[in-house]
Amino acid sequence: MGIAEFVIVLGAVLLLTRKSLNEKDLPRVAILSAGIFVAQMVNFPIGGGTTGHLIGAALFAILVGPMLAMIGMTVVLIIQALMFGDGGITAFGLNALNMAIIAPLAGWGVYSLMDEILGKGLKSARIISVGIAAWASVFLAACAAAAELAVSYAISGGDFGIAATVSIPAMLGYHAVIGVGEAIITCGVVAYVWHVSPEFFIRAMRSSEPAPGWMHVARSIPVKAAFAILFVFALLVPLYFLYSSEGADGLERTISEAGVEEGEQVLAAPFSYGETYFGMFFAGLLGFVAVAMLALSVLRIFRREQTKSRGR
Amino acid sequence: MIVLHVRTGQAAGHLDEHARSVWFGKLDARAKILGIFAFVIAAALLTDPVLVMCALACALVTALLSRLPPRHLAKAYLAALPFLAFASFSVFLFAGFERGISMLARTSACVIALLVLATGTDTFELFSGLRRLRVPGILTTLLMLTHRYLLLLSEELDRMRTARRARGFSGGRSLLDVQAFRVLSNTAGMLLVRSSGRADRIFEALKMRGFSKDMRPWRETRIAALDAAFMLALVAIAASLLLLQMEVFP
Repeated sequence: MGIAEFVIVLGAVLLLTRKSLNEKDLPRVAILSAGIFVAQMVNFPIGGGTTGHLIGAALFAILVGPMLAMIGMTVVLIIQALMFGDGGITAFGLNALNMAIIAPLAGWGVYSLMDEILGKGLKSARIISVGIAAWASVFLAACAAAAELAVSYAISGGDFGIAATVSIPAMLGYHAVIGVGEAIITCGVVAYVWHVSPEFFIRAMRSSEPAPGWMHVARSIPVKAAFAILFVFALLVPLYFLYSSEGADGLERTISEAGVEEGEQVLAAPFSYGETYFGMFFAGLLGFVAVAMLALSVLRIFRREQTKSRGR
Repeated sequence: MIVLHVRTGQAAGHLDEHARSVWFGKLDARAKILGIFAFVIAAALLTDPVLVMCALACALVTALLSRLPPRHLAKAYLAALPFLAFASFSVFLFAGFERGISMLARTSACVIALLVLATGTDTFELFSGLRRLRVPGILTTLLMLTHRYLLLLSEELDRMRTARRARGFSGGRSLLDVQAFRVLSNTAGMLLVRSSGRADRIFEALKMRGFSKDMRPWRETRIAALDAAFMLALVAIAASLLLLQMEVFP
């Protein structure tokens, strides 16, 4: 399932980029992928002697834009899986969905929206939005991973994955902390690059020519960003649904089909009302925030258009 | 952790020479990719502990038959082991000993098979094999370029790390260590800026040599009897493992 979703999304991305991708960008994306791969080796301290390392999805997306970032992160993951046996091919679909689709999209979406809302061009505002975006990309990818683990645990009746009661708090708690480190480093890197070679950002900043009417709104960065975020939720919400409704059926079916003993009924515990309620509440809340941000940014563009025309 | 990977990867770079001389290295890349992937997918779907052990045994036999230097395979496997052990350990904690062990065996079987593929194939043959299997050209071109520059940049990072250490930087204590984070993020930023400058020069150099978006493989190989036999053997193993599994769960 994961790999199908991933292949569909990646195929769409490849189709979309085929026309717009500049020949000149290819070595740049390649060497940035290599750069991100290597930057993942920079360990940062978390405390108590443990260290974490950069994931770099948000950084990549902020530097080159979401489409190229998705392709680049895919390349990084393929090399990790193929060359070094990391992660493996079987988990590859879901892994790539989390780290190469959800993380850069979420990072870029949050960054662009925050940048727009906090006020464009202000240095401190940009750094804050970079930080929040980096944290969000790590946290959302972890959400997806935890939900996937829980779903695969439920569907396979305990052969694969980890129970929801364990995986969700563990993954989210750990990655909420990791995300802080990622946010600090990403802020530092962006501030450094901004200071040393601002032309790095040109691709991300370069916007298409203004089009009349609604097309302008649809093409503006904040709306695209909001769509990116909504898209991430569209990917995440089915997982929660599967987890809350289908999961239970799948679990019961597996148990009855496999003729497992009564003792396995303990596995049904994660699907009590409390957990389901939590999942739905969480998804609903995030969806609400995304829609609210979308509405706000559309309003903002209109207001800016008005002031611009008044200025003329 | 990943440092170790790239170190072993560097060793594998020298291995490319060796890979061509072994019979496994001479097989057609497409046959190898299809066969190994079929096996890995089948192995990942197994749940019965006995069958999982069979899959692990098959992977080990393949590794032995491939005549690749066992030391390199072992080193690469050890580099991946902590991830496997962590996953299996969490399964072991929540689903019991037997499932933990079969999780370890299952993931090991997949990883070993992939490592045989990766170390036993010339890296560029592997990517052009993927291209000839109709993986989109953008992806394979990027894979080739990225792989080429990975080692270059990791050496650069190593030099920067040495320079950092020579100036008394020890890695910092916790998330609250502002100075450490400033140093680390400047390192990563400098790496990116340098690599961007390099990317522009590379593009010009590539353009001079007639580069286009889709680098087509230039070495044309044919699938011979041995290649087909290897692929069919692996596919047969994969299919029989899956069929055995189906019979256990009607």
